Amino acid sequence: MAAFTITPVEKGIFRCRHTGPMSHEDVRSLASFLHDYRGKLLVDLRGTSGEECVTNLKNFRPMMPTTAIFGTNIDPAALEIEESYYTHEVRVFETEEEALTWLRNQ
Amino acid sequence: MQTKKAMDTFVRETGGYTAAQLEACTRCGMCAEACHFYQATGNPEYAPVWKIELLKRAYEQRFTLAGKAKLALGIDKPISDEDLIHYSKIVYEACTLCNKCSMVCPMGIQLGPLIHEVRAGFSEAGVVPADLMAAVNKQVHEGSPLGVTDDVYENRMEWVADEWEVELPMDVKGADTLVVFSSIEIMKFPQNIAAIAKIMHAAGEKWTLSTKGREVVNFGFYEGNLDRTRMFIQRVFDAAKELGVKKIVVTECGHAYDALRWTAANIMEVPEGVEITHIVGLIGEYLRTGRIKLKAGAFDQDTITFHDACKIQRRGGHIREPREILGILAPHAFKEMSPNKEESVCCGGGGGVIAIKEADPVRYAAFELKIKQMQKAGAKTVVMSCSNCRLQFVDCVQHFDLDVEVAGLSQMVADALEE
Repeated sequence: MAAFTITPVEKGIFRCRHTGPMSHEDVRSLASFLHDYRGKLLVDLRGTSGEECVTNLKNFRPMMPTTAIFGTNIDPAALEIEESYYTHEVRVFETEEEALTWLRNQ
Repeated sequence: MQTKKAMDTFVRETGGYTAAQLEACTRCGMCAEACHFYQATGNPEYAPVWKIELLKRAYEQRFTLAGKAKLALGIDKPISDEDLIHYSKIVYEACTLCNKCSMVCPMGIQLGPLIHEVRAGFSEAGVVPADLMAAVNKQVHEGSPLGVTDDVYENRMEWVADEWEVELPMDVKGADTLVVFSSIEIMKFPQNIAAIAKIMHAAGEKWTLSTKGREVVNFGFYEGNLDRTRMFIQRVFDAAKELGVKKIVVTECGHAYDALRWTAANIMEVPEGVEITHIVGLIGEYLRTGRIKLKAGAFDQDTITFHDACKIQRRGGHIREPREILGILAPHAFKEMSPNKEESVCCGGGGGVIAIKEADPVRYAAFELKIKQMQKAGAKTVVMSCSNCRLQFVDCVQHFDLDVEVAGLSQMVADALEE
């Protein structure tokens, strides 16, 4: 089973749900998805620990589109990156509702 | 005060060759029709001839009798600080230094290099757009315009090696070939790093990366600042000398290729006996000599087209190799855009333009020309060999909500390698 699922939420927003430990293949698949994806992303980390996700999030951070993360404790400082012309905003929220509201306004 | 510095630079840059080119310009305006920014917007100030106006006025006012007389009689005005600020926007935001204008100039004037000289004056005067200057300063202090510090580089390379299961040899003395990536590849397109590693491995190349020469991008070159251009090139040359390599391979970056391959030889001492080439040239050589083999027809489904990068194809001459590669990978699906090869239309993001937020409207406007070309070719995938172009395509595909896949040539090659 893949470590994540990608499903549409609404026009322009996809949900990336973390479902288990990431294998090499999963990392490569997610990198390909992020390269080709043109919309905004809702990262759903319910059921996982922040510790488990934070390394992957840091590695994927430069490649992320405008993204709202919710569902587990993530220190926003871990996602900080020097602002540059190739980067997009990524924020951490407590709830899905907050995350979606922010994403819709971006 | 700003004006004096710019004027002094313009005058210093105006040797016999430049003067001859400025004198040769008849202001026929043909260059305008070749400029994608002019074509896209119709703004006459975007005509290349207008972009060198200050250089021309500085030359005339300092060196020609007519220019001095015009100035004395009040027919022409001295160049002012306001002029510099006004032209700075034009020269940095609406010019990618693609040099297509020189292809159509009936007098053979090399407009791109002349516009680069205008940027040199602006750099001395301190009228460079803030966004571009911020990236330049990052490269001076951190070694990379995109925040690839020593730690970031190390972490990123370890991540790629681990997750893509490739070997990334680091600081190997006695290696034949030094591969230097751009920070765009490191941060945004890490798949490219893995792809190039696979190709090098398949070819049996003795290669290495360098922690010291780890950034091929040159924002000093975009800025037009000679000292900083040299400084960034020197970091790569020092690494090459220290490691004793015979070849430096510039990965998918156009301006870096220009800076290292040609500009360096004109502005500084280059390492003796070290060949500088682009990854596309190297892949072409591997194919011709049988060091790598590709699965024929691996991407022969939906229509694929190739975007020629200004600095790699038009200036660099690597026109044949991508077509040889795509001829193998997509013999039926590959279709040219028109115009193409050395006459290709620039993507609109090069020359530092993509780094300047205020240039976004004109950058997107210029890209609409590429959209028309891609649509005419019926392309479902557009391939390129420059990561800066690729960033512009990826951003614009999202901006215009286009149904087109954007791909890097090295990645396609790596995905189609015969075991």
